[in-house]
Amino acid sequence: MDHFPTNWGRPRNDAYDAYGTYPIAVRPNNALKDAFSAGVQRTQAPIVTGTSVLALKYKDGIMMAADNLASYGSLARFKDVKRLQTVGEHTVIGAGGDMSDFQYIQTVLDELMIDEFAEQDGHTLGPAEIHEYLSQVMYARRSKLDPLWNALLVGGYKDGQRFLAFVDLLGTTYSASTLATGYGAHIAQPLLRTAVEGNEDVLTEDEALKIIEQCMRVLFYRDARSLDKYQVAKITAEGATISDTRRLDTTWSFAEGIRGYGAQTE
Amino acid sequence: MNSFAERFSTTSATAQMRIAQAAAADEEEFDGAMWGSDAGFGSLAKGVPSFSVPAVADPTSFLRLHTDDHADPNCRIKIKHGTTTLAFRFQGGVIVAVDSRATAGSYIASGTVKKVIEINPYLLGTMAGGAADCQYWETYLGMHCRLHELRNRERISVSAASKYLSNLVYGYKGMGLSMGTMICGWDKTGPAVFYVDSDGTRLKGDLFSVGSGSTHAYGVLDQGYRWDLTDEEAQELGRRSIYAAGHRDAYSGNTCNLYHVKEDGWKFIGNYDISQMHYDGPGDVPGAPGGGYGYDIRVEGRNSSNPPAVAAAA
Amino acid sequence: MPNMISLAQPQQRQFNPYTENGGTILAIAGADFSVIAGDTRQSEGYSIQTRYAPKVFRLTDKAVLAVNGFAADGNMFVKKVRQRLEWYRHAHAKDMPLRAIARLIQTMLYARRFFPFYVYNILGGIEEDGTGAVYSFDPVGSYEREACRAAGAAQSLVQPFLDNQIYFKNQTPAPGTSHPVHLPLSTVLALVIDSFTSATERHIEVGDGLEMYVVLSKGSTAFQSLGAIHGIQELTATEDGERVFVIRRELKKD
Repeated sequence: MDHFPTNWGRPRNDAYDAYGTYPIAVRPNNALKDAFSAGVQRTQAPIVTGTSVLALKYKDGIMMAADNLASYGSLARFKDVKRLQTVGEHTVIGAGGDMSDFQYIQTVLDELMIDEFAEQDGHTLGPAEIHEYLSQVMYARRSKLDPLWNALLVGGYKDGQRFLAFVDLLGTTYSASTLATGYGAHIAQPLLRTAVEGNEDVLTEDEALKIIEQCMRVLFYRDARSLDKYQVAKITAEGATISDTRRLDTTWSFAEGIRGYGAQTE
Repeated sequence: MNSFAERFSTTSATAQMRIAQAAAADEEEFDGAMWGSDAGFGSLAKGVPSFSVPAVADPTSFLRLHTDDHADPNCRIKIKHGTTTLAFRFQGGVIVAVDSRATAGSYIASGTVKKVIEINPYLLGTMAGGAADCQYWETYLGMHCRLHELRNRERISVSAASKYLSNLVYGYKGMGLSMGTMICGWDKTGPAVFYVDSDGTRLKGDLFSVGSGSTHAYGVLDQGYRWDLTDEEAQELGRRSIYAAGHRDAYSGNTCNLYHVKEDGWKFIGNYDISQMHYDGPGDVPGAPGGGYGYDIRVEGRNSSNPPAVAAAA
Repeated sequence: MPNMISLAQPQQRQFNPYTENGGTILAIAGADFSVIAGDTRQSEGYSIQTRYAPKVFRLTDKAVLAVNGFAADGNMFVKKVRQRLEWYRHAHAKDMPLRAIARLIQTMLYARRFFPFYVYNILGGIEEDGTGAVYSFDPVGSYEREACRAAGAAQSLVQPFLDNQIYFKNQTPAPGTSHPVHLPLSTVLALVIDSFTSATERHIEVGDGLEMYVVLSKGSTAFQSLGAIHGIQELTATEDGERVFVIRRELKKD
């Protein structure tokens, strides 16, 4: 019996220090040293990635936006990817994180929707059901330690109800009237909350669009992995639509005057 | 069909089979017994319960990475730990005494833990190490002791019970279970104490103490132990030893629970606050000398920094 | 060991399957009632993910479960407990008794001893004998019945306060008097609210909203002395006699 309480409940490693002779501060690190054990590659880190997705609730439904960039590290690799996708009649999902995992998720959801359609039972999956399904898939994959490396927003409108929720690679879920993934959670979310909280039932489509556009612009100014080309999705009682790619108007002349931003040498 | 196409197809027969297999794999925790009232222990019907293990090459280092450690505060899963326990055999049976503190890192997670696990009316187990490991496996041991009674029409011996536990935990050796326990009872051979731990050690003996406070407890226990102790003297020795550990070991303390096993089974003697024992003693109990155990209490008015009243007046 | 998956699989080193989502939960047992409470903030690091994510769940009319730690594990765990309780209801045509739910939770947590649910559970409710009870668990299933327990981010702020106010630790009763064994519901609710407003002041992961579930035993009169509590909502589903209520309050959002 090891009488030292801090060792209790933890596996021992007989290869090192079988008799607990090391002082606690210099206990040998236990990580496997053999790099060849990783024979099969699964997603251990994202490769081609998308950045933030933003979404908010407004009077008529949900609005969601994401830019068209897929980065490969610091390389802006693909500048025409679609990170928003309709699922059925009432739902749009938006993805940040690994784009190949997102494409897999799209395949899985396509299959799901076809199977549901084939049932012809008079039911269609709404945003709440799709979010629940996705969160179970994401949690199951994290539990296999083989995660789908994404942060997803699910927005929808069905039976007179707006729906907006989040799920990520760990299976963590939550819902709020404004949501943002990735960098957007730090930069855009405060702006979204200021503009939207308490006004969910009065914001018009035009106002919502202005808020989204402003947030996308701020993100483009500060997020080095973002692009000035983006799409906006709108989900209302009329259904889900995703806009064509739009371009942000940006001004960079102000940068001249900012120390550390422009060409100053001093 | 082309094997490549088959691999990525979603509608072929092999794809359907693959989906079914994936679904079956997801049902690993599912068990028909869960439908009934036998809850988790329904798995008893199949033998040893089954556990989910993370899908990594070395689950042991995974667990090590994520469970608590002073040296690495990033490990967030703090598992409760138990601390000073003792048991000894003497002419009048077995005395079992334990403290009641549980710590998670330096936080005192509880001061009211029951570290004596009542396996059945004749068997007690003590808890040191991982609280959940001890609670779970000693409860599980209790079920098997009952099965032994039903199969053999007689109570299980302490030796057999402790061996059952020892063999059980040996099957998980090195995986992170942590328990240091004394299985105490009375059987055909008289009073018996066996020490069993998660390394697989099993020892028969007269006197054991386990946990970080064990050294302090042994100090008191060893100097006061005799086979022919009276019941009262033995109970007092158990109490006094746990007090000593609670007083000097930071991981032990709060209260002392005292049990006495005799021929007709165990009996709970009492719960004693360790601070109260320091200042006022355990109260009006047989065997107690009266007054607090603390040396500063005993020598009050009889040392130079705190001289007798007469000396002070003069 | 049976049913264990093959160990000869590639090792993942980058991915950490756990996170910590903040918040605090607390439960207090009275003579014939039990109060189980939690804040509704969910956070990760310094980001508030949402201001309303419930951590306290009604299981039956006599049992309420609070979960804290990693939110995804917590939600999945509650889902699995509820599934087992439903199966029990189908098999036995009654709700599972509280102490049986406590043991069920132990076995469910311990089944994941080698890949733990990172969840601290507190179960509150009414026992078969009509007394209020609180059971608290560690992530791998050790449990204990207690009179009160706080867990989560602010447990080290709240538990000492509860020790002092519920167990009267380090308090000496006035000569000729003694401390009460059980406190009335009005006092308990006031202590719970004070615990959370104070924890909100001093811990960044606590705040936004407070949900207090109250479980009353059969024929309990605990509410009558209180008068009307604003915003109280009854959630009782059966005619068994026990009643469940939820009381919601706002907490500071900064």
